[in-house]
Amino acid sequence: MARLTVDRLRKRFGQIEALRSATFRVEPGEVLGLLGPNGAGKSTLLACLAGLLLADGGEVRGEDGQVVDPPNRRDALVYLPDAIRPWPDQTTEWVLSFWRVMSGANDDGWPSIAEVLGLDELRGRRLGTLSKGERKRVLLGLTLASPPSVVLMDEPFDGLDLRQTRATIAMFRELAAGGRSLLLSIHSMPDAARVCDRLVLLNDGSTVAEGTLTELRSRAGLNDGADLEDVFLALA
Amino acid sequence: MPSPEVRPATRLRWLAAKEWRELVASRATLVVALCVGPLVGHAFATAVSLYGEASGAGGGPAALSQGLSPLDGIVVPTFGAYAIAAMLLFPFVGIRAVAAEKESGALSLLVQSRADLGTMIAVKFVVLLAAWIVAWIPGLVALAMWRASGGHLYAPEVATVLAGHALRGTLVIALAFAAAAVTDGAASAAVLTLAVTLGTWALDFIGQVRGGIAMSLARFTPDSVIRVFEHGELRLDLVLATAALTLVLLALTVVWLRPARSLPWRLGVSALLAASAALGCVSAVYTRASWDASEDRRSSFAVADERMLGTIREPLYVTAHLAPDDPRLADLERGVLRKLRRTLPSVHIDYAARSATGLFEGPAEHYGEVWYRLGPREAMTRSTTVPIVLETIYGLAGLTPPTPSQGNAYPGYPHVARIRLVAFLFYGLWPAAVFLVWFTYRRHPKLLEKRKRPETTDLADRS
Repeated sequence: MARLTVDRLRKRFGQIEALRSATFRVEPGEVLGLLGPNGAGKSTLLACLAGLLLADGGEVRGEDGQVVDPPNRRDALVYLPDAIRPWPDQTTEWVLSFWRVMSGANDDGWPSIAEVLGLDELRGRRLGTLSKGERKRVLLGLTLASPPSVVLMDEPFDGLDLRQTRATIAMFRELAAGGRSLLLSIHSMPDAARVCDRLVLLNDGSTVAEGTLTELRSRAGLNDGADLEDVFLALA
Repeated sequence: MPSPEVRPATRLRWLAAKEWRELVASRATLVVALCVGPLVGHAFATAVSLYGEASGAGGGPAALSQGLSPLDGIVVPTFGAYAIAAMLLFPFVGIRAVAAEKESGALSLLVQSRADLGTMIAVKFVVLLAAWIVAWIPGLVALAMWRASGGHLYAPEVATVLAGHALRGTLVIALAFAAAAVTDGAASAAVLTLAVTLGTWALDFIGQVRGGIAMSLARFTPDSVIRVFEHGELRLDLVLATAALTLVLLALTVVWLRPARSLPWRLGVSALLAASAALGCVSAVYTRASWDASEDRRSSFAVADERMLGTIREPLYVTAHLAPDDPRLADLERGVLRKLRRTLPSVHIDYAARSATGLFEGPAEHYGEVWYRLGPREAMTRSTTVPIVLETIYGLAGLTPPTPSQGNAYPGYPHVARIRLVAFLFYGLWPAAVFLVWFTYRRHPKLLEKRKRPETTDLADRS
């Protein structure tokens, strides 16, 4: 049974139809990549899934097959939006402690998350003084410290350097192996190819393809040598 | 991934800590705190100087000592500085508390946490109210200096003035929150808040000039409410109406911040809340309980008169043919009608002047007359002074006026204070101390943190 099933999700902002029909599933213990061109509706989809935006139609079902209403989704999933700059006047150490109390975080696994993200060296610094990449590391830490088993992240590697990206990818793989499901909106195709088990291609607000890279290649009619960029250009 | 439960009290404590830390670090708070000292200092120094002159400083004759009340002369002007702060400075601190989290994305994380949005707003409100009370330190220091110089203070009337400022603080905070929640940014929220403030000023003015419904509504504007408290009168209707407005504004904040709600839902609930606020205010109008905390009992008749009036069980109908901006009506309201409302079990007052100014109302239309009706009997007087009006009412009730008591007259408290260091304290030490605290916290934020590592933080707090 899928951990999360998204069925024909729709969202309109006035005259703009940001999501027409998003349909896919998130399996237990997988890293699912959400790909699409600018304006495809990736961030809107994640915000609707997290219950931060009210979808105009469609359903989100939990592991038991029951529809999960937006107010109840915070128990099932946690979402890290892109480009947020919360609490710039507070120190990393305090924000992490605060968030772990507020989210009811489990301490299991936290030391390794903090180590991979290099949070110890940022402990005494205020969030407002951190670089983009450093702030992203702290926010990834906040999100991964949260208990829900489904984690949604918008551009999780944005701002991270190569070494950090690789370490974070390895950590994501480890977390997925431990049973958590990660849905990542990623614009970097090489990163997506490296970290994701399966991919969802979104174009013009609709899901155009879902599957492993091999399945997508086959669907696009491309040979085995085609990389994710070729698949993306062929399908999106 | 199962997680250990965190006690709600622990979550509340962390939320309150977050709000306090955000408040201390904010530049908006710094500006308000810096301004409050000099504002209070100037108001206090001016008040002490004027009070001294009225008390005969420099060898001149003292004014009638009975008229010298520290409430009017010192307490109200000194704390008048907080009226300016509440109107023009403090709303921005409240707006920032909500708008900053909206704009930075912190709110999008918080609404995913285990804490309820209503609880978060309530904690924010309590912390800001605490900050508002902390901002009274310069005012309280000023009063302490007055007292130390030998000046008189009457605790109940000081407490009533403070209660008025606290009440005003609650309304300002709630309004700022609601404005920040409804609008898309801090600047728009500031414009909206100032527009509401200007609107209440306009309502006050229209109420004074035109009377009618505007005059009834104007009784609940923040300026009108604080004026009542500054007279040493604690009125339950004003407390209830302000509390109702505050609660509704806080509820509006939650409604507009709650994610994943449609615009029609928000508008519908907002309309219901507005109706509740109106209902709350209308219900409050019928609440008559009030306490005169002033030492000179300025909102009360003499004790003997109060006892005598208390024996009148029939409703008293008063019809005042005076325009709202006629100074005689202001006299009548302040000297008689306000006291009658407090004393008699049932008073119905009709402001019957037909024009706004009374200029074009001829004698045939009774302009200038005030009619009193008790049962089938009625009488008219043009006087607005207490003894004549009471004599009229006693006449209608068939009562013999009580013998005036001479024993408990308010003595007045003339006092010429020589208070030193006012300029140093309020223009120098206070701003320097405020800036030092703020700067130290900005440079060393860990000063406010517990000495624990994140791995171990609050594990002891989990149940």
